[in-house]
Amino acid sequence: MSNTKDFIVNQLKEEISGFKAEVSEKSVGRVLKVSDGIALVSGLSEAMMSEILKFKTEHGEITGVALNLEENLVGAIVLGDFTAIKEGDEVHATKRILEVPVGEAVIGRVLNPLGEPLDGKGKVETNQFYPVEKIAPGVITRASVKEPVQTGIKAIDAMIPIGRGQRELIIGDRQLGKTALAIDTIINQKGQNMKCIYVAIGQKESKIANIVAKLTEAGAMEYTTVVLAGASNPASLLYIAPYAGCAMAEYFCDKGEDVLIVYDDLSKHAVSYREISLLLRRPPGREAYPGDVFYLHSRLLERACKLNKDFGGGSITALPIIETQAGDLSAYIPTNVISITDGQIFLEPDLFYKGNRPAVNAGLSVSRVGSSAQIKAMKKVAGKMRLEAAQYRELAAFAQFGSDLDEDTKNKLERGKRLYEILKQDQYQPLSVAKQVIIYYSLINSLLDDVAVDDVRTFEAGLYKYADLNDEVLNLITERKELDEEIEIKIKKLVSDYKATIE
Amino acid sequence: MKISARQYAQCLYELVSSESEDKIKKILPKFVVLLEKHRALSLAPAVIAAFTEIWNKEHGEVMAELTSARELKSEAKEMIVDYLKNKSGATEVILDEQVDQNILGGFVLKYNNKIVDASLRSSLESLKNSLKA
Repeated sequence: MSNTKDFIVNQLKEEISGFKAEVSEKSVGRVLKVSDGIALVSGLSEAMMSEILKFKTEHGEITGVALNLEENLVGAIVLGDFTAIKEGDEVHATKRILEVPVGEAVIGRVLNPLGEPLDGKGKVETNQFYPVEKIAPGVITRASVKEPVQTGIKAIDAMIPIGRGQRELIIGDRQLGKTALAIDTIINQKGQNMKCIYVAIGQKESKIANIVAKLTEAGAMEYTTVVLAGASNPASLLYIAPYAGCAMAEYFCDKGEDVLIVYDDLSKHAVSYREISLLLRRPPGREAYPGDVFYLHSRLLERACKLNKDFGGGSITALPIIETQAGDLSAYIPTNVISITDGQIFLEPDLFYKGNRPAVNAGLSVSRVGSSAQIKAMKKVAGKMRLEAAQYRELAAFAQFGSDLDEDTKNKLERGKRLYEILKQDQYQPLSVAKQVIIYYSLINSLLDDVAVDDVRTFEAGLYKYADLNDEVLNLITERKELDEEIEIKIKKLVSDYKATIE
Repeated sequence: MKISARQYAQCLYELVSSESEDKIKKILPKFVVLLEKHRALSLAPAVIAAFTEIWNKEHGEVMAELTSARELKSEAKEMIVDYLKNKSGATEVILDEQVDQNILGGFVLKYNNKIVDASLRSSLESLKNSLKA
């Protein structure tokens, strides 16, 4: 017993003798007013923009960020429980700009926007920090987008290809599968040399718990970080969440790695920024948003980039999500973000309720990077397929009026129906490019014409299973990324072989 | 345009800074009348505070609040005054001394929105935090 006691006493003595009380000059101010997550602080004459402030309260320290610098006042947002702050409390300036921990240690974690753990796995073990607000990389550092991000979703990879470093908006009403699209994309990044960051802004924590469970199950948490500012968090945390997520992404990008970041969703982000701005008494503009909402999102999305070889060649691909009200694309925030991004994926309720899921509207969705972000094999089949889809849409509208159709039109309509069957895809079932190429190749080369429309999906599923068993073709496509004659013959053979097995 | 308390104070300072005491006695009532005319008498406390600040700055004076657990020795005080003169570039230091047993030992110095906390209490607290971590 006495040994233990001696040990403790000695340890304590050592600790205390090693301790040095540091006396340093600190800049202090006092709280004049607190309300709704905003604090007005007097003094702090040397405070910097977005400097971390520490509020000394009876219940310990609370972090805040300086956002309004006036002659004698500093307007700060409180990142935490503002009800603990009282008028007259001391506020210390830290001389540090708001920053978050970055590094390999954030992978597989669920963190709040300040980088504090929410998953009960302990502190993030890293000594590197990146500022939350950072100016986007300039022209000289950038390269054009040319490598694909494989989303694993047939409708997107073929018709609306996304490149590494692109910003592609996912837009649509509530409950149409916007988040599902993003989550499937994250799941499909396994083995594609991609880090993923999912930023949840104002989402229900139950939904996030589901998503994290699903990602863990799919093995996607091995390369994914979730940054969560839930619906019950103050607006200030929601406001900094996407920037914090982006800072974590920039660490990997600077190392030359590819990162995919999902902002889910930016309409709630805009709403939380509106709340903060109005409380800080900044003048309201259209829809009561402050004058700088455009800059709010443009500076965030501009940080998505593809760097050139001299700067490491890393990339940040951004998938912002916007929730519209009753399909209104011309509201303020949707138009802003559409104009900032390099294209959008538009989800439509009509398609969704008809059973076409994912409900991607191929007409209104675009990708401004286009086919330069597709592998050659996909380019070859997707071009024809897009044409096929457009013709079908046109004909289907006409065909409603009469039943007297010539043979050619009938064929096109039949093929179109099969195409729309193929575009259907279940949630959490991302598909490799090779399989996508096979199915599209079969469609445009009339290999599916003898399969009944209702049986297309079962046929498709069976074909994939068969292809997995005889994986020569899949491997060839993945390897060569091209569709040469040899592969074409092999695909034809594979499909006919499979047909033979089911007969 | 609304005139701020600071602007009134600046104006008053410029009026009185190079005048004799007799003149100042005449200027002051007029200044008060001006405030009343502008319906700005409610600003008076702010004007006074701002005036003191401007005066101190222009004359190289610095106001400091010194809290200690016991009455400090004059040598210690002198060292603190020297420190302040060094730091703020002031020629004169006006010390407001207070005794507060709660800080246990050492002193706390406050000036110009800055704080130097050399109290025993705060160092004990940081010791507590470092042991906790």
